[in-house]
Amino acid sequence: MKHNSNTSLTYPIIRSYSRRKLLKIAGAGAVAYAGSTLATACSIGNDVSGTDSPIRIGVLLPYTGIYAALGDSIASGLEMYLDEIGNQAGGRNIQIIAEDTEMKPNIAQQKIRKLVEQDEVDIVAGIVSTGVLYGLREYFHNNKKILICANAGGNKISRDMKSPYIWRSSFSNWQPNWPLGLWAYKNVASKVFMSAPDYGAGHNMVNAFSHSFQSAGGMILGKQFTPFPSMGDPAPFITEIRKSRPPMVFCFYSGSAAVAFVKAYNEFGLTKEIPLVCSGFTVEEDVLPAQGSAAVGARSGLHWALLLDNPTNRQFTTAYKDRTNTDANVFAVQGYDTGKIISHMLNEVQGDTSNTGKMLESLHQLSFASPRGPVILDSKSQNPTQHIYVREVKEIDGQLHNAVVEDLGEFTDPGDDSLG
Amino acid sequence: MNEMIVQSINSIVFSMLLFIMAAGLSLIFGHTNFINLAHGSFYVLGGYIGITAINQIGNYWLALLLVPILVGLLGATIEYLFLRRLYGKHRHLEQVLFTMGLALITTDIIRLNWGTYVVNIEPPILLDASITLFDAQFPLYRIAIIAAGLTIAGLLWILIQRTRLGTILRAGVSDIDLVSETGINIQVIFTGIFALGTALAALAGIIGAPLHGLYPGLQFEILVLTLAVVIVGGLGDLKGAFLGSILIGTVDTFGKALLPEISLFLIFALMAIVLLVKPSGLFSARGE
Repeated sequence: MKHNSNTSLTYPIIRSYSRRKLLKIAGAGAVAYAGSTLATACSIGNDVSGTDSPIRIGVLLPYTGIYAALGDSIASGLEMYLDEIGNQAGGRNIQIIAEDTEMKPNIAQQKIRKLVEQDEVDIVAGIVSTGVLYGLREYFHNNKKILICANAGGNKISRDMKSPYIWRSSFSNWQPNWPLGLWAYKNVASKVFMSAPDYGAGHNMVNAFSHSFQSAGGMILGKQFTPFPSMGDPAPFITEIRKSRPPMVFCFYSGSAAVAFVKAYNEFGLTKEIPLVCSGFTVEEDVLPAQGSAAVGARSGLHWALLLDNPTNRQFTTAYKDRTNTDANVFAVQGYDTGKIISHMLNEVQGDTSNTGKMLESLHQLSFASPRGPVILDSKSQNPTQHIYVREVKEIDGQLHNAVVEDLGEFTDPGDDSLG
Repeated sequence: MNEMIVQSINSIVFSMLLFIMAAGLSLIFGHTNFINLAHGSFYVLGGYIGITAINQIGNYWLALLLVPILVGLLGATIEYLFLRRLYGKHRHLEQVLFTMGLALITTDIIRLNWGTYVVNIEPPILLDASITLFDAQFPLYRIAIIAAGLTIAGLLWILIQRTRLGTILRAGVSDIDLVSETGINIQVIFTGIFALGTALAALAGIIGAPLHGLYPGLQFEILVLTLAVVIVGGLGDLKGAFLGSILIGTVDTFGKALLPEISLFLIFALMAIVLLVKPSGLFSARGE
């Protein structure tokens, strides 16, 4: 490997981002300086071939805030895939230019302009928060710029806000939760209290779960939508949940909010009394170490699990751990698959990124083996068709992980709001 | 009904946590007229160094004692090297810019040292239990936060109202020039106040971490909360910070319980109203 791996993607971002921020504060418009530092830093080791200019991939991720770990994981997964292919696709080198969206749609607007208009990136990848995705949709659509969305699951992007230029490597918010609602009705309880952050993704997940749960005959005792991005002290919410004495709680939280919620749920004694069924992000591998034993027993629906038994996943999880010294998580899987999808597009056009039409065409019904199992990029929803698994947090060899309880089968976003 | 009582206790817990968070900021502004926007950074540094210390020393209580001292020394060093160049009546903008820069640097130092994954401090074994309240479990650690808040408030009150040092501090608020002319080295006093303020921030970080975890960017959330407290209560006034904490903590808790969707907005609405009606803060002893 000629590549100077581990630090090449992650750390230069940090350095340039902070430097830029400082300069901005000081009132010096030295963005160009930071940009050039970044470009230099990121192209270290990219001396694989030729004198051709590299293909530039703009990466938009949050590097601070409650979803910082998600951004980091996606970056690590993407970088790992690019390393595996020697940072080359379609006969050209690949160069990453990363920007911090901080979870704020207005900041993301500035960053996308910088990436597209100043750095002239060929393709954009990333985006963690649904709010950011919705905010940038018009930009990608109007500028005919390809976005491979590596996380944000806002349903609308597969439905009425669809754009031919936006494809997802991740999931739609509907996907893990609709099958879970049905499963929970059959296996856990027929009544539920629901809690989620008050933004697009929170409402999507609650609606999807509610739809199948109610269709099966289940009853919703109450719903609470909590402040986003930060919920602050979750104690008042937990007390409200207990007030309605539900036999089951469904929730969706991610990042630091997931840690705070699950810990408080346990401290106030609810874990013992009320089974927690949640969207898989709530107890994903990135937050489990901080949640500790508070998360044990939580059951969740997601399109991947660390202990999912298939050859691609075994290889992926081992390599990821060797590389980063942390266990893989679903976000890293999505980053990894984003790299795979991008390299597929670039190979299809032999590096000619001006051929946007052919690159997009190559995504229709593209199927590949992912760590999450077989994945097909559905032409209608422009989102993966994938298996949804029920997982349970268990102690395995002294560590907490998500074990697969049941494979619920393959699910495709319906492409409209008919099923929640 | 029982739930309302539990919510009231929740609001006292959160109020006390807010007070512990805001006391240092208030102290520094009140006695040195310095706006420290890196306050949240000292808070999270306390939390992160706290985790490392607890793991290394293996004793929560020793770490709880040592880490604030360490961060206080760091604060004193920063004050000595940089901040004392920025004191002065009309230099608030410079103070804001400089300490904001410090906050951004701290964010990166934390990322490099501790990564981006959420990390958590477990409550000490002694407090990792629960009491029963109306047939429901209530965490003992949260009760301990009330005790900690009251203790810190009491100790600070004694320091400022009942000691010779406190007399000097209070005199400094009234007329700083006069204090220097009586032969008291006001520079040393300022360094000491900054050390105490940052040590309090670090202590708050260790105490607060089990409730919200630690992650990059937390410092700005903490900063906004503490600014809300001191603006509502009265900037630079310990009593104001205490009463401001109780008001914000109560509005936040009952807002979350009754109107969850707009609870975050309620705090800022309260802050905006106070700024319009009484810009010096509701409980400030100072004139306008």
